[in-house]
Amino acid sequence: MSFDLTIMIAGEAGQGLNTLSSILLKMLAQSGYHLFASQDYMSRIRGGHNFTKIRVSNKPLYSSVSASHLLVALNQESVDLHLNHLSSPSIIVHDLDTVQVNKTGEICDIAAPIRKIAVDSGNALYGNSVVLGILTALLKLELTGLTDILKASFVKKAAKDRKGNIKAATEGFRYLSDNFQNLNIPLGRVKEKNRMLISGTESIALGMMAGGLRFISAYPMSPSTGIFTYITSKAGRLGIVSEQAEDEIAACNMAMGASAAGARSAVTTSGGGLSLMCEGISLSGMAEIPLVIINMQRPGPATGFPTRTAQEDLDLVLHIGHGEFPRFIFAPGTAEEAFYTSIKAMNLAEKYQVPVFILGDQHLADSYVTLDRLNANKVKYKSYLAENGALKKPYLRYKITRSGVSPLAHYGQDKIHFIVDSHIHTEDGHISEEMNVAKKMVEKRFRKLNGMKKEFSGPQYYGPKNAKTLFVSWGSTYGAVRETIDCLLAEKKSVAMVHYNKIWPFPVEESIEILKSRKDICVVENNYQGQFERLLQRETNIKTGKPVLRYDGRPFDVQFIIDMFEKRQK
Amino acid sequence: MTQENLFHSSGKPAWCPGCGDFGILSSIEDALVNSGKKPHEVLIVSGIGQAAKLPHYINTNGFAGLHGRALPAAFGAKAANHHLQVLVTSGDGDIYGEGGNHFIHAIRRNIDITLIVHNNQIYGLTKRQASPTSDLGMVTKTQPNGVSTIPFNPLAIAITLDAVFVARSFSQEKAFTTQLIEEGIRTPGFSLIDILQPCVSFNTINTYKWYSERVYKLDSSHDPADKLQAYEKSSEWGDKIPIGILYKSARKTFLDDQFKPKDLPLFKRKTRMKEIISLINELY
Repeated sequence: MSFDLTIMIAGEAGQGLNTLSSILLKMLAQSGYHLFASQDYMSRIRGGHNFTKIRVSNKPLYSSVSASHLLVALNQESVDLHLNHLSSPSIIVHDLDTVQVNKTGEICDIAAPIRKIAVDSGNALYGNSVVLGILTALLKLELTGLTDILKASFVKKAAKDRKGNIKAATEGFRYLSDNFQNLNIPLGRVKEKNRMLISGTESIALGMMAGGLRFISAYPMSPSTGIFTYITSKAGRLGIVSEQAEDEIAACNMAMGASAAGARSAVTTSGGGLSLMCEGISLSGMAEIPLVIINMQRPGPATGFPTRTAQEDLDLVLHIGHGEFPRFIFAPGTAEEAFYTSIKAMNLAEKYQVPVFILGDQHLADSYVTLDRLNANKVKYKSYLAENGALKKPYLRYKITRSGVSPLAHYGQDKIHFIVDSHIHTEDGHISEEMNVAKKMVEKRFRKLNGMKKEFSGPQYYGPKNAKTLFVSWGSTYGAVRETIDCLLAEKKSVAMVHYNKIWPFPVEESIEILKSRKDICVVENNYQGQFERLLQRETNIKTGKPVLRYDGRPFDVQFIIDMFEKRQK
Repeated sequence: MTQENLFHSSGKPAWCPGCGDFGILSSIEDALVNSGKKPHEVLIVSGIGQAAKLPHYINTNGFAGLHGRALPAAFGAKAANHHLQVLVTSGDGDIYGEGGNHFIHAIRRNIDITLIVHNNQIYGLTKRQASPTSDLGMVTKTQPNGVSTIPFNPLAIAITLDAVFVARSFSQEKAFTTQLIEEGIRTPGFSLIDILQPCVSFNTINTYKWYSERVYKLDSSHDPADKLQAYEKSSEWGDKIPIGILYKSARKTFLDDQFKPKDLPLFKRKTRMKEIISLINELY
């Protein structure tokens, strides 16, 4: 029997929400459940209201749903804010003394003496371990699974705290088992199978590293910081040099210096930082220096919503950098796709000597999902640096070729030296004011597009072949749109979807082929102007219907899309 | 014995006749030859401006990048290949104005590069506007009432931030400049050589004559290890302007912990797939 349960853990920053959620996620993943977890947090260190939603099922999941079945309320505010958004029936777990629930509808109120158990176990700070014990019993998971994780997570803590937390968890487990024996929770059994739990942040970072990343420079900015810190934490192990730059301008130019010297380089940032990199990206275009730019979007303009999600930077990355030059833009939809796309991005930047953008967002970065595996060998690292023997002398850094791609040397090769240059330049990289040189060089750079268009697969189709209504997703909207399709198909609607990961060079012919005979096309995206929709219309000359847009900083879910879609039909 | 100058380029610099840049170019060539470097072992990074065109006029590797951004690019290149001898040559507007922030942080980072600033106290390429080092009162079209902004003192700032090697020269003193560049190249860490250089087209105040009457070479009475003395010398300006090594302070360079001199450079390292697979396995 299939099941689909959503657990919400809510409280304020500083209450240990992240640790609690990640331990629960780990237990559920190790027990073989399919998971999708998204985070909603405020841009502050303490206080505010934060929550994590964990969806648990026996089938693969791609997004969050709006209503929760089980609320773990770490403070009163959590009950007040979410009580009306719980499914019916539902369960609330909270501390007996500090949080009150005015029961409305079918709510099972588990008012547990969390604080008391924690204090009795040695410290009021052990409260979250009590909660974990309660949840373990409630979800009918093994207590040993929890205690093993606690032992491992507190391995660096004092023995007193390790033991105290385990005692608190055990007492929490016992409390629930003793007092709520007959509570029925709609969570079925699954075959015991240890699943991988991965966030978009981790998958992009791992992909970049598998793609041969050698040098990374960045300035911290939510929601991209996690990728930078993850790579930095593994830099020693992987032989990567990582440097926190004084600003994004420096970060971008550092990466290009490293890249020109032969090291695969990338920067991570978000919209505001990307704006500062604008000129540097233009240099990458002119000097033909490989560069991977990871831009994790958040709502703007200006500071916007630092910790929330949006797809507002598409127009920016399509045009960023003065002057004209070819570029790649990818917008992976899932953690799995993000991993393989990131490897490819590293390869393609070097192959074509162009800037390559990965356009993610907070929703992709901070969501966790279970996967069966990631195959690090599916997309292979391939070097495009030309070694000395393969280089013709005299070496011309910007040799005009039919493909537009010149042989790529690096500094330091015996008897070869060259200059990379930001001006209009000759084949040997020196400044030129000649109109013919300018024309030939512009054409050379744009000839790369012929090859670039053939790289990477076009849009992905999901659903019945001749569906009347076609939903379109790009980037992280993939998950919610995919589940919308499943939901509407179950209602016998004629729907399908097409997902764009490769956004530029735009897959024009493939798109026309898919879109031309559709009655209704509905683009779903996290912005106000329908940026992708306009791009799609411009490139294909095919009229689309009214898009489904969301621009309140929150990710889509199935219910939101269906509600908007139905309104649109009227 | 005179060594063959492999760095000399047959290309003609697009500088004004009589420009101080010619002297600096020739000093850089001599310093590189004297250091025993081969053209493929050297990288010269620059930004934008007349001085920043120098990589185009010398036979070696070049990175002619963006206005103000030479130092970050030089850092990246040095990190990618620590075997490269990396020099940065650019002007006062480029390094101290547009790239002022990078100047500060490059010194803090202490990357092993030699920064040569062609300091002519004026913007040349954009035809005569004040630069960060223009003297008070200089009248230009964009400072019609005279410069009222206190001049930037690069040497004092470099000393404050404990730059490893801080020197000043005058472009006409070619042999002296060559020696300073040579020592800058030899010194591990961030070396600043600020070279006073007349702009014959636009700076009618700070001319060859003006500098010649004022500069004097620091003698053995100056101890470059003495920070306070270095400070005093760095603020000497007007009737007498000291040239020479103002300050020296050895410390660890940015890459010292990551690379031994003989190590394979970063860009040659293999992708450690086994480590990546084990990172993936840690996610279970």
